[in-house]
Amino acid sequence: MGSSNQSSILLDRGSPVLGQRILQHFDFDPKHRNFNHGSFGASPREIRKKLHYYQDLSEARPDQFIRYESPDILNESREALAKLVNAPTDTIVFVLNATTGVNTVLSNIAWNDDGKDEIFYFSTIYGACGKVLDFIVDSSLGRVSSRGITITYPREDEEIVASFKDAIANSAKDGKRPRICIFDTVSSLPAVRFPFEQITKICKEEGILSLVDGAQGVGMIDLDLGALDPDFFVSNCHKWLHVPRACAVLYVPVRNQAMIRSTLPTSHGYIPKSGERFNPLPKRHKSAFVNNFQFVGTLDTSPYLCVKDTIEWRDRVLGGEAKITGYIQTLAREGGKQAAQILGTEVLDNKSGTMSQCATTNVALPLDPEEASPALDWMMERMMEDYNTFIPLFIHNKRSWARISAQVYLEMQDFEWAGQMLLELCGRVKTGEYKMSQAVVG
Amino acid sequence: MRTLHEEPPPAARTMVRFGREMRQAHFNFAPSYTPLNHGSFGAFPSCVREYQRMLQRETEAKPDTFIRFIYPRLLREAREAVAPLLGAETDEVVFVPNALTAINTVLRNVTYQDGDIILYFSTIYDACLKTIESLEETTGVRGHCIELTYPVEDDEILDRFHTAIREIQRKGKSVKLAMFDTVLTFPGVRFPWESLVPICKEYGILSCIDGAHGIGHIDLSDLTRIGPDFFISNCYKWLMVPRGCAVLYVPYRNQGLIRTTYPTAEGYQPVPHRETLSQTSYFVGLFEKVSTIDTTPYICVIEALKFRNQVCGGEECVRNYCINMAKEGGELMATIMGTEVLENKARTLRDCCFTNVRLPLDVAPEGSQQGRREGKIPADEAKAVADWITIATVNEFDTFIATRYYAGAFWIRISSQIYLERADFEWAANVLLDLCSRVRKGIQSSYD
Repeated sequence: MGSSNQSSILLDRGSPVLGQRILQHFDFDPKHRNFNHGSFGASPREIRKKLHYYQDLSEARPDQFIRYESPDILNESREALAKLVNAPTDTIVFVLNATTGVNTVLSNIAWNDDGKDEIFYFSTIYGACGKVLDFIVDSSLGRVSSRGITITYPREDEEIVASFKDAIANSAKDGKRPRICIFDTVSSLPAVRFPFEQITKICKEEGILSLVDGAQGVGMIDLDLGALDPDFFVSNCHKWLHVPRACAVLYVPVRNQAMIRSTLPTSHGYIPKSGERFNPLPKRHKSAFVNNFQFVGTLDTSPYLCVKDTIEWRDRVLGGEAKITGYIQTLAREGGKQAAQILGTEVLDNKSGTMSQCATTNVALPLDPEEASPALDWMMERMMEDYNTFIPLFIHNKRSWARISAQVYLEMQDFEWAGQMLLELCGRVKTGEYKMSQAVVG
Repeated sequence: MRTLHEEPPPAARTMVRFGREMRQAHFNFAPSYTPLNHGSFGAFPSCVREYQRMLQRETEAKPDTFIRFIYPRLLREAREAVAPLLGAETDEVVFVPNALTAINTVLRNVTYQDGDIILYFSTIYDACLKTIESLEETTGVRGHCIELTYPVEDDEILDRFHTAIREIQRKGKSVKLAMFDTVLTFPGVRFPWESLVPICKEYGILSCIDGAHGIGHIDLSDLTRIGPDFFISNCYKWLMVPRGCAVLYVPYRNQGLIRTTYPTAEGYQPVPHRETLSQTSYFVGLFEKVSTIDTTPYICVIEALKFRNQVCGGEECVRNYCINMAKEGGELMATIMGTEVLENKARTLRDCCFTNVRLPLDVAPEGSQQGRREGKIPADEAKAVADWITIATVNEFDTFIATRYYAGAFWIRISSQIYLERADFEWAANVLLDLCSRVRKGIQSSYD
């Protein structure tokens, strides 16, 4: 792995040194290099111990803990996260993951009967969220349709904003009514920052509900929901916030809480229009919205309970949110450039550099799309078997790219290694090695 | 530390006697705790916990490798392991996090015309009723409730079911789907679901069985012969798997009805693409990855079944012990408290692992001050009394005994399990005697 002293990025004297030294806190296989934090996250050992602690409490006295004690711990975690994103505590609830959060919001919208309602989305929407839109449109019996806005990177923020405004104008021309727009903070593939602040503002001006999919959000970029004031916001905590799987935050400002009628699935907290009914759970939160999400079918909610502990751990061991996001964003930018240099290619970015204001980097592969497309699966398999790592590869705008997630346990040396590994792997593609082996369906 | 590829040491596979010995050897309750409420949140043995932690360690070691490549294979193995308990084929069975998600999946995938009816009984699990109410808000479907008060005979239940259907049809409406339990939540009694399914078939009604208390609790190997349209069961309860894990059984003939998971995720295909896949491939694919959650509980089914077979002597052994202990234990409690166990004339209610015993508390006739003086509880205070008793069992006796005021009397529900024995039921009865006596005195002194 190399000495952790040589190339760590020291932010200031006396603060925790981030980089390979931080690996000691995680449980990765010693031979494995983790470049794909953005997919499934990772949780430090100390927090996993906390997770087990809460799980063991549920085994020691199940009813006691689940019915009486865990709601209080849940509220502490909600408060800790609310502080982090500058939102009132009673606008914050937990759900299993961002996809569930997005589903919850969209399935609660009451569409008008005149068939004019539209959902706006961008072509870079996360796959599963696109499927939600498909399902809603398919099952709405013509009441709602979707309008996709195509984005091919690189793009300046102004261009994206202009495309959005165009779409609004076209929608009006078509006699439609945009109800809600879903957009990312940082998209998935490619993993670049999206001008979500500007789009949220325009949504407000145009009377369109804003659903911000911040799946790649909390713990990676600064989020001030008080300033942003979106209509709905979701973010995974089990990615960049180091919380154990699975946990995400759903933010709904008070003005919109009445819209969220049911959780997914519907559970004890649901209040029918006919008035309240029996709820067997003893600890009721005074906010009907918060209470609705307190119990959503029996789950192991220990990850939710760990949120407060994880935020505290990041403060104590890593030096706090500002240090962390500063480190990982800088590393992504510098590391990405370095890897691109080794590959003789470039990083996906716009002239103003706004796309790379995040902790992921997308580095072009020195392969033509015709060379790359058929080989991508093979390459990802080889990465696991031959190089003990995994980096998602994808095609965008007629080029092939590798998406690398920076993290507190990585440093420049790792990005150099990644560049070398990808170079070697691309070389093997050029020799046609992948054609000789069976492609295994992943 | 154990890895995926190692077999556990032989010691973990020896058979152990049910009761206290089983509890000490394999479960993780606090030493002073008496676990009498398995039916709510379940419990799982140490070997399953170790297995789950091992799976989680492998996930942390190489997240993408495990989640993308190893997990799908294990998922199939787990489905193969659980399907036989339902007498079903592997591709008719998928996992979801809990029964409520499965119920929502079925009910929200069925399409309803305006005026269609969902038929259910008053004993429906509360959150299932909330699901129907939510559907009433968002679709043209309406729920229709059949009242039941226990004790009731199975024949009576079937009769009322027939009557309700005919009544609805007379009004020119159509029953789209009927939902009912295998074993009710409260009171904890066996429900004649096997006889209701043929009636549904007769009238062309979809049958959705809420078998939350199902797998590991009653014998379901005849399920496919009985032929319900949908069957749902929690595995984290009676199958001893960590929370949350449930199975959704959808026979091949109905798989085309399930268009999406809840939430909708990667596996969903819009109609034109869907038609390029076989129905079963689409159905199984839908549930393979439903956004990121910790799915290790699904895989734990493999280890839980090993435990139940090798250490407990098999499903039938476990069931027989639990059901017999519930019967014996309940009777013992009724004797100690001078009351009775909930049962019907045909003696079908107790064919499950729950027992429901009445508490020695009386309700005062309306407006009767005399009743109060005798320690009888005014009806409008009954719920508070029941809640007080429940909380007192938690705070003072380190247990949890679900107490409810039902049909004019106070009833408790106890879950039998392999880690319990007669002494536990005896202890519970004495705790309740103590609490009831305090309740009576409290009522009397409030009168004075």
